[in-house]
Amino acid sequence: MLAEARPARGERFRNLTFLVPLLILGVAVLLNYLLQPNLFQPRVLNGNFRVMLPLMVLAAGQAIVIISGGIDLSVGAVVSLVNVLLVTFVKADSGWSAVLLGLAIGVAAGAAAGALNGLCVAYLRLQPIVTTYATSFLFSGIALAILPRPGGALPRALTTFYRSAPLGVPAAALGIVVLIVTWWALRRTRFAQHLYGVGGDAAAARASGVAVAWTRFSSYVVMGVFAAFSAAMLTLSTGSGNARLGDAMTLSSIVAVVLGGTRLAGGAGGITGAVIGVAILTIIRNLITFANVPTWYQTLIDATIILAALAAPGALRRIRGRA
Amino acid sequence: MSPPLLSATGVAKRYGAVRALVDGAIEVHAGEVVALLGANGSGKSTLGRVITGITKPDAGTLAIEGVVTHVSSPTRARRLGVAAVYQELSLVPDLTVAENVFLGNEPTRLGGVDHRHLTRVTAELLALFEGVFTVPVTPLTVVQRLPPSERQLVEIVKALSRKPRVLILDEATASLGGRQVDRLFQLVGTWRDRGMGLVFISHRMDEIFRVADRAVVLRDGATVGQLQLRGTVERRAAEQKLVELMTGGGEVGALFLDEARPQTPAAAEHGAAGQALSLRGFASGPLAPLDLDVAPGELVGLGGLQGQGQERLLLALFGALPHRGSMSLGGEQVDLRNPRQALRAGVAYVPGDRNREGLLPVRPILENLLLPSWRRYGTPLRMRAARHDAAGVATELNVRYSGLDANVATLSGGNAQKIVIGKWLLRRPRLLLLNDPTKGIDVEAKEEFYSLLAQLQADGTTVLFTSSDDAELLGLCQRVLVLQDGKVTAELSGATLDRNHLVAASLGAR
Repeated sequence: MLAEARPARGERFRNLTFLVPLLILGVAVLLNYLLQPNLFQPRVLNGNFRVMLPLMVLAAGQAIVIISGGIDLSVGAVVSLVNVLLVTFVKADSGWSAVLLGLAIGVAAGAAAGALNGLCVAYLRLQPIVTTYATSFLFSGIALAILPRPGGALPRALTTFYRSAPLGVPAAALGIVVLIVTWWALRRTRFAQHLYGVGGDAAAARASGVAVAWTRFSSYVVMGVFAAFSAAMLTLSTGSGNARLGDAMTLSSIVAVVLGGTRLAGGAGGITGAVIGVAILTIIRNLITFANVPTWYQTLIDATIILAALAAPGALRRIRGRA
Repeated sequence: MSPPLLSATGVAKRYGAVRALVDGAIEVHAGEVVALLGANGSGKSTLGRVITGITKPDAGTLAIEGVVTHVSSPTRARRLGVAAVYQELSLVPDLTVAENVFLGNEPTRLGGVDHRHLTRVTAELLALFEGVFTVPVTPLTVVQRLPPSERQLVEIVKALSRKPRVLILDEATASLGGRQVDRLFQLVGTWRDRGMGLVFISHRMDEIFRVADRAVVLRDGATVGQLQLRGTVERRAAEQKLVELMTGGGEVGALFLDEARPQTPAAAEHGAAGQALSLRGFASGPLAPLDLDVAPGELVGLGGLQGQGQERLLLALFGALPHRGSMSLGGEQVDLRNPRQALRAGVAYVPGDRNREGLLPVRPILENLLLPSWRRYGTPLRMRAARHDAAGVATELNVRYSGLDANVATLSGGNAQKIVIGKWLLRRPRLLLLNDPTKGIDVEAKEEFYSLLAQLQADGTTVLFTSSDDAELLGLCQRVLVLQDGKVTAELSGATLDRNHLVAASLGAR
């Protein structure tokens, strides 16, 4: 008998599912560099990070929901809603206290939106896709009612800070570091353990004494909070409010999560992968711009990635079954 | 004498019209292993689920160390020191062994999960089974990679990690290998000597005699007696006593339909050519190779405790599961690779869970009846002929319905089951495979179903049939094959076709 049991190869890297996406990112960056030789100039790099960060935060939240076995199609609408709330409560001449109040209101709104989704999915047992698609119209509607026409502005100091590079590191890059450290800490909590358990096999988790409904509910609330922070970053980047600002981000957040190696069926994956997924998406967008291809190719690519991700497990099983 | 670790009395549980448990009782003292025994439908699994908080009883008292308590959930049961090892696994495939062992019970340090502690304790517990693993198992192994036997061991380790005072092993040995069972029993001995109380549920008489001190027997939802096993010299006599307790010694074979029971067709003596169904070395997954000849119009029962491979055999015959060996229908060699081919060859399968597999609940009766047969009605569909045929079958089956366009969901359980069977009757199958067809339907519907079976047989349809109701098998079949662990361990017919033989064979009694 095998006396000494060592983890098989690959198992040690189980939590590093983002290794393949990292490789893809490397190739994408190289291609981008070939088309845009000034890519690594601080100004260009900084700009890229600024574009990436809001979507990264959003995709991180989406990853949490998807790991727990759900999905959230209302995230873009929540971003829009928080964005218009921010520019409503914060004016160009607002002081620190108003900024903090605005942020608090935004985060509370995000959490409330998530709680509504969570309530419907976890406790009323409605289908996540249908529920969050429906609530997305609710959130969009509220956002449009608050700010029918784009407008508003943030204090100049804030937007300038977001563009700056304190200590030589772009502020947005610092944001990415904060995001990954947050995940690193979250991964070590009981909540994360239960997320993977519920997403992997809800019945088994229930039999083990995990509060399944509460875990699902919490995942949507956390998603809402992440969406609020995503909106805050985006508002820093654009400097104004628009009730349709987040619309396109829903699909992108899901594509990024999938690109990062998180299984759509739940139970596996992580935020690091989602962050890398966003980086890949952003660079693909750059490539499309520089290659002078019509922008609708972006949608085509997004859709292809999702289709491939859905088909991959079955295809792999078939290939393995034949071998 | 100190109060028992666990004592349940007067436990009752009703599922709809079915009384699963009427008066269940069990007592477990510190330092003893109690076997819980009963035939199909005796209520032993329900009693097990009540003790562990999975099922809420309608009535009854549960006391732990003499203190009456309410066990409302598995979590609560574990907190009270009662843990169970289930056969239906409670493991999450994507998590590691250590993460699974502590799922829902994670130790924390400084607000985070203490992974070091988790890994260390799991490693210690895994060491109990050191040397009997068939593949390397470490705390960091992902459960997905483990075969069923190792998953079962992880399941045992998981129950142990909660440091239970009462441990319930519900068919925990079913997927283990011989050496793993040996080790488990060795450990059970140690735990017992340390004062743990154990409840052991198994379908293997051998194991019960190896490990249990006492046996508690249930019959028809009530605890009917118990027997001291430790120190028993006369095993044969003890086995006989247990079987008698389980069957009540009563004659069940003649309960109903004795006059309707068709005689064994004369064709039974013919060679393979005259057989409706002939199997040689037919096997599927864990099923042992089977040789079987069934005459046209014969009704053969597949008996034994539930989940011993009966369903798997039926599904394999229906082409729904991969299989080996040879199969011939009416003397003609067939190779059924999927249900479509099986249907074309005249084989029909009636599933056990009619709501999930047998019916389209939100569609009309008409569509349900005709689903497998539309191809006979051309393009565009000749609706008038289809309606006519469907109405004919519904009348033949004596279905009580408001109209062919009513939803199947509006029918009672018994009438819904008739639709499930009726949709195959339109195709006039040669071989009908029935998977527990009368589960949860009322007596009257059952009677009608039995006469329908008799009629089918008279028409020459061959039937293979499983049932969770032993009386039904004994009352209807000319021949019953008893399965245990995927193997046919006995073939009962004529004088041996009675409840005592069936129960004894189900448990592998000598």
